[in-house]
Amino acid sequence: MAFEPVLMRHYRVPNSTSLQVYQQAGGYTGAAKALQMTADELVELVKKANLRGRGGAGFPAGVKWTFLPKDRKVTYLCINADESEPPTFCNRITIETDPHMLLEGILIAGYATRTTVAYIYMRGEFTEQFHILQKALDEAYAAGYFGQNILGSGYNLECYIHRGAGAYVCGEETGLIESLEGKRGWPRIKPPFPAVEGAFRQPTVVNNVETLACLPHILTRGVDWWLSIGTENSKGPKMYCVSGPVNRPGCYEAPLGVSVRELIYGQDFGQGMRGGRKVKAVFPGGLSMGVIRGDIFPRHPEAGQVELARDYDELDCRLDFDDVRRYDLLGLGTAALVVVNEDTDMRDVLRNVARFYSHESCGQCTQCREGTAWMQRIAERIRAGAGRVLDLDLIEEITRNMGMMPGMSICGLPDGAAWPLRTLVQKFRREFEAHIAAQAPDAAAKYIQRINPAAYDLPILQGRAVAPTGGTFYHPEKYAGAAH
Amino acid sequence: MPKIIIDGQEVACRENIPVLQAALEAGQDIPHYCYHPGLSIVASCRLCLMEMKMPDPRTKELVWVPKLFPSCQTPVKDGMEVRFNTERVRDNVKHVMEYYLLNHPLDCPVCDKAGECYLQDYTESGGPATSRMVEEKYKNPKKDIGPHTLLYQDRCVLCSRCVRFTDEIAGTGELKVINRGSRGEIDVFPGAPLANALQGNVVDLCPVGALLDKGFLFKQRVWLLKHAKSVSPVDSRGQTIWIDHNAEGIHRIRPRFNERVNEWWISDEARFGWKFIYRADRLSQPRTRNGTALAPVAWEALPDLLRSRIEQAAAGDGGARVAAVLSPMLSCEEAWLLAQFIRDLAPQATLVLGHVPVTGQDRCFPKGFKIMAEKCPNRRGIETVLAHFGGPQSTFAEFLGRAVEGQVAAAYVTAGYPEAWVDDRAVTALRKVPFLAVHDLFPSGLDASATVQIPAASWAEREGTFMNCDGLLQAFDRAIPPLEGVKPDGQFLFELAGGEGLFRSHKVRASVAAAVPALGDVFEPRPLPEHAH
Repeated sequence: MAFEPVLMRHYRVPNSTSLQVYQQAGGYTGAAKALQMTADELVELVKKANLRGRGGAGFPAGVKWTFLPKDRKVTYLCINADESEPPTFCNRITIETDPHMLLEGILIAGYATRTTVAYIYMRGEFTEQFHILQKALDEAYAAGYFGQNILGSGYNLECYIHRGAGAYVCGEETGLIESLEGKRGWPRIKPPFPAVEGAFRQPTVVNNVETLACLPHILTRGVDWWLSIGTENSKGPKMYCVSGPVNRPGCYEAPLGVSVRELIYGQDFGQGMRGGRKVKAVFPGGLSMGVIRGDIFPRHPEAGQVELARDYDELDCRLDFDDVRRYDLLGLGTAALVVVNEDTDMRDVLRNVARFYSHESCGQCTQCREGTAWMQRIAERIRAGAGRVLDLDLIEEITRNMGMMPGMSICGLPDGAAWPLRTLVQKFRREFEAHIAAQAPDAAAKYIQRINPAAYDLPILQGRAVAPTGGTFYHPEKYAGAAH
Repeated sequence: MPKIIIDGQEVACRENIPVLQAALEAGQDIPHYCYHPGLSIVASCRLCLMEMKMPDPRTKELVWVPKLFPSCQTPVKDGMEVRFNTERVRDNVKHVMEYYLLNHPLDCPVCDKAGECYLQDYTESGGPATSRMVEEKYKNPKKDIGPHTLLYQDRCVLCSRCVRFTDEIAGTGELKVINRGSRGEIDVFPGAPLANALQGNVVDLCPVGALLDKGFLFKQRVWLLKHAKSVSPVDSRGQTIWIDHNAEGIHRIRPRFNERVNEWWISDEARFGWKFIYRADRLSQPRTRNGTALAPVAWEALPDLLRSRIEQAAAGDGGARVAAVLSPMLSCEEAWLLAQFIRDLAPQATLVLGHVPVTGQDRCFPKGFKIMAEKCPNRRGIETVLAHFGGPQSTFAEFLGRAVEGQVAAAYVTAGYPEAWVDDRAVTALRKVPFLAVHDLFPSGLDASATVQIPAASWAEREGTFMNCDGLLQAFDRAIPPLEGVKPDGQFLFELAGGEGLFRSHKVRASVAAAVPALGDVFEPRPLPEHAH
């Protein structure tokens, strides 16, 4: 059976943002169906469908809803429309082309979680999208899909759009809540988790736009349809953003589990690389999930010439919640591909990634605040032609120290910063080393002494450090005994 | 009382405290910057991470997990097992310290906080020896953020203690973190300096040398200072303080933890209100009226003089026309000695509660810190003494009323207020008193009518107890020697009351307590371990 897009079915349909067009396509029937069920039945249904959150972590949405305390009086639903991950724009497409799909999803999720107020936390830069969504929300209110006694069910739900001021970390659920409350967008320490104490200290569910947009389709088409799409543990359709020097960059809908190669070269998707260039690297899950190596690298390397464990084409990586981990990626993330072609200097990529996270670190946790800035400085120096092989070791070590494992800091930003930088250095080390080897022999020393005259007595090594540089935190073998 | 196991040792701890607090109270020096027991927990410095046992998801058995947990954020639970003394935890401290030192100058030789700086301590004990960052450090600005406070931003570790203090304790919120990431800085809003009534606490709170007291800047190295336990005399709350002093005198005043009164904080009045001690016009020698002028007299001659004149005034009526004004600036022991002295000579003498200065209204801050309108430390103590002695008593206003009618033949007036306290009414009234002994710190309008003028010592030059507005009796120690030529009030009154040798407040207190147990029941705040805040 051919895959039929549902999340993007209204893409390029004239006047698709109007309630009329949406209703003609069967809009709000899912919500009507949901309102005839009990909230618990609805939660069970979503759990059965194994709808995993599309925001990045892939946590099952139905399970998340069950964390709400049973005896709660108030529940808030926060819709994460912040979408600040660099190459990601699928929520924007949803809001621009099918805002009612999101609103219907909000209504369904709101009913399932017994929410009284829903806040759509929207990225501040989404100006046009805000007006589109607000218009759609007004229409939905007028049609009785929000407000009091929705569709005669006795259920009441208010919905507001809150525009953020534009910070990456406000897309993190507790940062979002702080920002929603009018405070600086700093993530909160957990526990308490938002399900217990979230917005305005009340039980709160935070769901991503795309997660909620899936709900109407699960209701109308049924769980079996949903479960027929995707791979074993990753069900349903997914919106993939493809950016970079491909022939047809854009946002595409495909089942979970589509391969990176297909998204770049498939006729329905990217249609190959512009100018016939080869793929050098791909960030398949947004920047923060890490990088894979493209087809510039030999798929069948000669033994002895390259490192077999790593030097191979990784474009067969299937984009679902499980397969990505085989390629040393942190997760599926937002499934937004950034394609890097063979003309690109990886030093630029390294610098851009490091600069982004250094700029967006909120500054609460020390490792993230200082570590991201340190890595940016190192990356800037490597880019300026004054790198040392030692720096590559150092970046690797810093990325390990920033979070020895995910979850060591208040939020996931340091993990998301460390992962791409570490994988970049590991998977493209040969290229960095080649650049360093091509430098003038004392380039690093001269550069460092120019930017920091006080560094004259520091060991400025061009090559690999002969002795340990101060101990490393991450020794899997060292701590192996402690793990369970 | 929950019992937890820290590094293999069982520790009994208070309920609902974080593991970090339990470990600190058990005497372990666990590195931490952002945690302060008086402020909300943010767990952002990541220095206090620990290993903890958690249930294995499969076997449900408690096992050590590879992840480290912030001990400041983890509440104690009976039977929990944690450890700090492991390689992994030490490695974490080492690496976090490396991050701190990337941009933080180790300028201990010129830093005011050297000697009591957490960054210095942790670097010395667990930090890296060299920095691996070869790039130049950020050079953040030094900022003048308020009338008393400087911010050396380059030394800031962004622990946000000061920000939380202004938000939560002072409730004024002047300080905020501006910018993001490694460019984050503490700052005030334009035109809104850090000027609340508790702002000096941010200097103590700062675990490094970022926030500095302008008055103390470059004055002393902290390791040269000695610390005296004291109680602030600026208001009736009796905030407990440390007086940091040395041979050169007092250099600063810091809060002393007191769970019943001021917790970790003191008001700016208490912190900066001690400089009257060094006013140039302090009275420094006793004088008696010789014709129209006051002439110096030896301390040794005073007791006889006072005794004979008061006896003279008390002759015939048992002292009904004699009065002693017990200032609320006196300690309980001093007030007791004075009352005893007067009543011995004149059993019918009136005991007067001295002038009680009141300024404005009581101020209560969000988490319960109070600044009282009553600007004297010991009204309750004096009242307790008066209640014990019984007999004729009056308020200061009534006393002035009697004096202006000529009903007072002899009066011993104690004062010792830091501020001017004598108004025209008092001057006019006391001019009518034939024998007036004034025991005060500074010259006043009473100089013209005083028969005997006795220089007093400030509270920092004395020892004794104050009873605060809630009836809590608190002891204070002598910090500095009295001004040259001045005999401490307690010593002088001790001699007047017939005592021999050296006045020691605890000895007098012991005898007082035999008669009035409330005046012997001294409250001693729980001492905090060295690093427990």
